[in-house]
Amino acid sequence: MTRPPTDRTLPADVTISEDDIARDARALGVVWSEPPGFWGWLTTVDHKKLGKRLIVTSFLMFLAGGIEAALMRAQLSRPENSLIGPDRYNQLFTTHGTTMMFLFAVPVMTAMGLYFVPLMVGARTLAFPRLNAFGYWNYVVGVVFLYVSLFVNMGPDTGWFAYVPLSGPQYSPGHRVDVWAQVVTFTEISALAGAVNVIVTAFKMRAPGMTVNRIPIFVWSQIVVAFMIVFAMPAVATASTLMLATDRAVTMHWFNPAEGGDALLWQHIFWFFGHPEVYIIFLPAMGMITPIIETFCRRKVFGYTPIVMANITTAFFAFGLWVHHMFATPIPELGQSLFTAASILIAIPTGIQIFCWLATMWMSRPQLTVPILFVLGFLFTFVNGGITGVMLASVAFDKQAHDTFFVVAHLHYVLLGGGVMPLFGAIYFWFPKMTGRLLGETLGKWHFWLFTIGVNVTFFPMHILGLEGMPRRMYTYLEPTGWGPLNLVASIGAATIAVSVLLFLINVIATMRRAPNAGPNPWKSSGLEWSVASPPPSYDFLYAPVVESRHPLWDTTIDLPVLTGFRTDRREVLVTTTFSAEPDSRHEHPTPSIWPFYLALCMGVVFIGSIFSPWFVLGGLGLSIIGLAGWGWSGTKPTHHERVATPVAVPERA
Amino acid sequence: MKTFRAAGTVGELPTVTFGNRSLMWWGTLGFMVIEGWTSALILAAYLYLRQNYDSWPPLTIPYPSLLIPTINLGFFLLSIVPAIFAARAAKQLDEARVKRWLIVQCVACVIPLVLRWWELWALNARWDTNAYGSAAWTIVGFHTSLLVLDVIDTLGLTLFYFLKQMPVKAFSDVADNSFYWYFTVGAWVVIYAIVYVGPRIL
Repeated sequence: MTRPPTDRTLPADVTISEDDIARDARALGVVWSEPPGFWGWLTTVDHKKLGKRLIVTSFLMFLAGGIEAALMRAQLSRPENSLIGPDRYNQLFTTHGTTMMFLFAVPVMTAMGLYFVPLMVGARTLAFPRLNAFGYWNYVVGVVFLYVSLFVNMGPDTGWFAYVPLSGPQYSPGHRVDVWAQVVTFTEISALAGAVNVIVTAFKMRAPGMTVNRIPIFVWSQIVVAFMIVFAMPAVATASTLMLATDRAVTMHWFNPAEGGDALLWQHIFWFFGHPEVYIIFLPAMGMITPIIETFCRRKVFGYTPIVMANITTAFFAFGLWVHHMFATPIPELGQSLFTAASILIAIPTGIQIFCWLATMWMSRPQLTVPILFVLGFLFTFVNGGITGVMLASVAFDKQAHDTFFVVAHLHYVLLGGGVMPLFGAIYFWFPKMTGRLLGETLGKWHFWLFTIGVNVTFFPMHILGLEGMPRRMYTYLEPTGWGPLNLVASIGAATIAVSVLLFLINVIATMRRAPNAGPNPWKSSGLEWSVASPPPSYDFLYAPVVESRHPLWDTTIDLPVLTGFRTDRREVLVTTTFSAEPDSRHEHPTPSIWPFYLALCMGVVFIGSIFSPWFVLGGLGLSIIGLAGWGWSGTKPTHHERVATPVAVPERA
Repeated sequence: MKTFRAAGTVGELPTVTFGNRSLMWWGTLGFMVIEGWTSALILAAYLYLRQNYDSWPPLTIPYPSLLIPTINLGFFLLSIVPAIFAARAAKQLDEARVKRWLIVQCVACVIPLVLRWWELWALNARWDTNAYGSAAWTIVGFHTSLLVLDVIDTLGLTLFYFLKQMPVKAFSDVADNSFYWYFTVGAWVVIYAIVYVGPRIL
């Protein structure tokens, strides 16, 4: 029997020759290649292509949500404005919130993980590449569904949290709320698929030597968030798909008090998801900050363990705060006190992380590039949002500020300061890795300053407006309220944000028209992702890197140690043990497939069709069986040369 | 650019593994956690609604019937046996025995699915009767979706084994299919206890 082709199996401590490297790269290039053209675009399972596509799609959603925000700010810029009527305004603020939370913030943070986790842990791809494609296509179905609905005047209009009874069948007839409930379903499927992928990749596919205490902090944040998604997303799936949609479609009574249902049940389940959701957005952003600070301060981060523990602690606390969104409902006093305490407590782990970063930067000479400017902007803006968060944790204050613009100010300071600013920094930081090109620094600095100023000019006045009693979600206000001038200032700030984002887009487009100029490691950073070409090859790593420290590229000064011996006639990845990351097995990975796309379309038939008739559910599930069969069939190609490890003693097949 | 130093080889590592050494086992576990947690949340909501009523089920509704659900619980528990033997045969790479036990497993998992229809009506309330009916139907209905998925997986895997030459790594899939079935049965034991027996106690 002939042996399968493999890359070099060399004795230890031999430097691999350039000829061998070129030969292995050619072989892997063929095995990991994908079909060209439109078919290749539909069938790709490359985590980098899908990750980049998810980043771009979610940025398009950021622009869409931004346009909605700009329209709302235009309407509110002066009292008794008639630019947008109340019905359209309701659809706008609902679509804005839904877009920003479900279609931009969570997907873009997940996408950064789906792109970078394999590269940072030294794996050739994600654990489940086809599941990744399935998640992406589900997300696209949700995006298209929401925006087609908006343009045919069927956009959801009961807020991004769709409180019952307003969103129930009695007060919201028609299909607008159904659209919201099912858009949420698609994003849940997508997020859950991504979370399982990240967890298994980070647990089982780390490079040899990357023990638990050497996992990069960005990857830690993605692991923690993936676990949060696993426990938070089922709550909103239960609330929207299994309860609200069924109340509306088949006359269930979950939220109908006349038949023993309970409107507050919605708030409990929604916010059990909704509050962790904030940290699902925020924690990946925190994970992005550490490598940026390390790189531009040229220092290893102070307090690796406290930062990781703070991430995990934040995740636990995040599930114990949801009732602070419900202080204006009849919650027992003991419950109020408990959730007040928990809401204040969560500031502590966040504070620990911030102090660790300050300690890292202390007495260093940061190189003030755009990524670290955004980190500094984050520190200033987010801390302000955090402080108003602690204020809102107090029941007495919350009852005064509830549903006013003070809350709008708080949440935007937290989400733009704590989420979007680090994200922009991360895009500038990792853009060269993804494209091979460095974004322009001058335009980048304009982007940073206009964005930071814009955010503060837009949202700071809202604190005052809120304290003066201006309620959220109203399409206009009367002149005697005196709210006109501050609203005008906020609208000018929003225009400034719009200009800054426009400059960012110009920067991206101009950079993409230039020739690649980055090289593998333009910032001289320390993570494994910087050891491969920019953009990385289809197989990510030619050989399995061996990790000897937390900062492999800083601490390994001569040759990078690697493991060889992989087969080069199929897509093979290395599986390692969970904690100590010792090499354990090789795993054959799947090739491109149309079935994830097909199955996502079937999910579209099921969930979108369910709004109109239950028969679509049966039809869609029937079509899904074809997809599942195709997926399974294409994954069971007979192979030879397997080596088998089983708990029962069985001779190896070789 | 740095060069590479060969520090060892992976050529001797196995390419087919079982249990927690296999990626698919971890993926299956992930989805079990998601589905188990979703079931737990619906059960929590069911118990939350209990406080809106003086009696549970509400006065006009009889207790859920126990005959069919209890018989079906027996079938569920029995169905674990072929799942265990199929997994064991898979780990021994014994294709003939895997095929035999998969056929038994198919029969063993289709029976509870068929009986599920009567099990739903044994709740003695419709989904639109009141909130109690909605909650009970949602829990049992959600578990039915898991059941359907696992039945499709088992039937599909069995069919594949008889239609084509399966790769060695498919043995690992057979073991994972059994793993998922244990979860489906385990989840049902909890749901049966709360939804069918629970109202007599709550």
